[in-house]
Amino acid sequence: MLQVSRLTKRYGSLTALIDVSFSVRPGEILGVIGPNGSGKTTLFECLGGVLPADGGSLLRDMRPLTAAERTATVFYLPDLIAPWPTETVGWALRFVAGFWGPAPKIVADGGVGVRPETNSHVPKLGSDSEAIEDTVRRLELEPLLDVRIGALSKGQRKRALLAIGLLTPQPILMADEPFDGLDLRQTREVAQTLRHYAAAGRTMILSIHQIADAARVCDRFVLLSGGRARGEGTLAELGALASSRGAAAGSSLEEIFLALT
Amino acid sequence: MRSPEGAWRWLLAKEWRELIASRAWWVLLFAIGPLVGVSFIGAVRTYAELSGLNGAAAGVGEAFSPLVGVWAPTFSACELAAAFLLPFVVIRVVSGDRQSGALKLELQHPTSSFARMTAKATVLLAAWMIASAPPIVAIVLWRAYGGSLYPPELATVFAGHGLNAALTIGLAAATAAIAEHPSTAAILTLTVTVGTWIVNFIAAVQGGNWERAAGYTPTAMVAEFQHGLIRLDVVIVASTLAFLGLAIAAVWTRIGVPVRRRSYESMIAASLAAAVTMGSTFASASWDLSENRANSFSRSDEVALKQIREPLRIEAHLAPEDPRRVDLERHALSRLRRTLPKLQVEYVAKTSTGLFEQTAAHYGEIWYELGGRRAMSRTTTADGVLETIFALAGVTPPPQVEGDVFRGHPLAVPPRGAATIFYGIWPALVVAGAFFVHRRHS
Repeated sequence: MLQVSRLTKRYGSLTALIDVSFSVRPGEILGVIGPNGSGKTTLFECLGGVLPADGGSLLRDMRPLTAAERTATVFYLPDLIAPWPTETVGWALRFVAGFWGPAPKIVADGGVGVRPETNSHVPKLGSDSEAIEDTVRRLELEPLLDVRIGALSKGQRKRALLAIGLLTPQPILMADEPFDGLDLRQTREVAQTLRHYAAAGRTMILSIHQIADAARVCDRFVLLSGGRARGEGTLAELGALASSRGAAAGSSLEEIFLALT
Repeated sequence: MRSPEGAWRWLLAKEWRELIASRAWWVLLFAIGPLVGVSFIGAVRTYAELSGLNGAAAGVGEAFSPLVGVWAPTFSACELAAAFLLPFVVIRVVSGDRQSGALKLELQHPTSSFARMTAKATVLLAAWMIASAPPIVAIVLWRAYGGSLYPPELATVFAGHGLNAALTIGLAAATAAIAEHPSTAAILTLTVTVGTWIVNFIAAVQGGNWERAAGYTPTAMVAEFQHGLIRLDVVIVASTLAFLGLAIAAVWTRIGVPVRRRSYESMIAASLAAAVTMGSTFASASWDLSENRANSFSRSDEVALKQIREPLRIEAHLAPEDPRRVDLERHALSRLRRTLPKLQVEYVAKTSTGLFEQTAAHYGEIWYELGGRRAMSRTTTADGVLETIFALAGVTPPPQVEGDVFRGHPLAVPPRGAATIFYGIWPALVVAGAFFVHRRHS
């Protein structure tokens, strides 16, 4: 679906990303895993067009995406923001659905997530309110609809932000630390919701520093450390790679990460 | 994805909600009522006294124009609000998205940052129009007192303050977009405002190019509109600077664009604006919409002046701070420039005050040169200047026409009820509105 090719970003003399390359497959949840300071947020901001990259490109069918194509393809949900703090969660969701246009409808069988850019079928777009209701229900936001975003707790704000991201129509959603601030139960429920949307056709790239959370939700992983991609693949593929470097067979994701970084 | 047109309507609605949720906006609304009230009540009292109220000599107020006597001071409150309150509203609306992180989300929509900035500017201009309600209340009160209204001059004053507000919006939007923090933006905006005052001060002392530059500062622009004068070059320069500010704001609110490129694009926009500004100096059209023709000679004098086809050169040996030079400029030369396009004026002085030049040879002389003929006069009144020019041109001075003389609209009425409205009802309405809106938001 997409390829990130040799992405490089420098802040003065500090190189935050060095030739980072990986691929993104349709409908998958790709976890970008790395410790704090490994360059995950910088990577997402470059891919989302928030930061200008110093080198590399985002390719689709081996062709670099233009800025307009990137805007139509990728939506980046940053961490640590409280957008429109004086507005209620309900208003923010209506605004996002209205501003970006009709959100995709999740059909009754839980199947097709219809997106004009990605799906060759006739689009079955749901009304804004249907999409909002579905997202609100899945993320348990009903009690928060009339609460101002600026008054939400960290975990509540994270769920509201995820709802905002899920209501946007771009086929790829990049979320920075989607589980940060959530308790264990909420983490499981949010993971389930993300899996539901991925199953419906939406591709997700998640930046996660808690490896246990990543193992719970992601299909494939990109291991990032020191601004470099140290490995890419499914758990089995990364396990094999780690084994070839001396790690014990059947290692957990944590052990694989330690072996490869 | 939603079309840019559909999305723009959502943006407009969002910006409006952001505006009414901001405390800066309610403070502006709250303050502008009493500010206008103080100015209006003081102006009406003075006007009434000059018109014969409380035993003052009746007839002093004859030839007194409501434009100068009431509306210029009343609307000066708007100038204060535009300089010291409006920038904070603009900065709140422009910086708020960046501070909250909403900018990172909104800029991922295909709508251009120019469209976003246009939505903000539209809402801010609407906000300014709402904040202009107290002067409108003052106009209604004046009419209720039996005062005379001349709509063209009132519309000119409104337009001048609207243009001044647009300039403030452009400036504050640009600083808010460039500066990382709203407080830095506020300091930068006020620095520019104070900077224009410094230009005015230096112009008064130095004259020359400073004087020409000072003609385009917001203070000078508003003063002209307040006297019922619309100059095309001033309108072009002010509009261009307002658009430049918004363009720079749009350039700097974009995400994912290197600082070098944004600087380059800003410089291109500034260069284009400079070119338009330079070009506008050739636009000499102007319209005097004051009822008393405060910026024009009488119609018969203008007809006579238009018979003069040759270039007229005036050399005035007067220092910038000499009151005679101020008189000459205000009452004669500014009017002459509007009537004679081929007029060239040059001031000659060695000092700024002229105090130590009084005994110097030729100081105080005003030389007129037309078609090789020269004449000297020391008079600085409009009549004296015209007399010299007509004599030099061999044009017979026209007889004074009775209809040309403005007789004024004296009104000896105290400002009844104004204090209750501006100091009581208006603030109460604003507080109630703010309470209602914030309760709805919480």
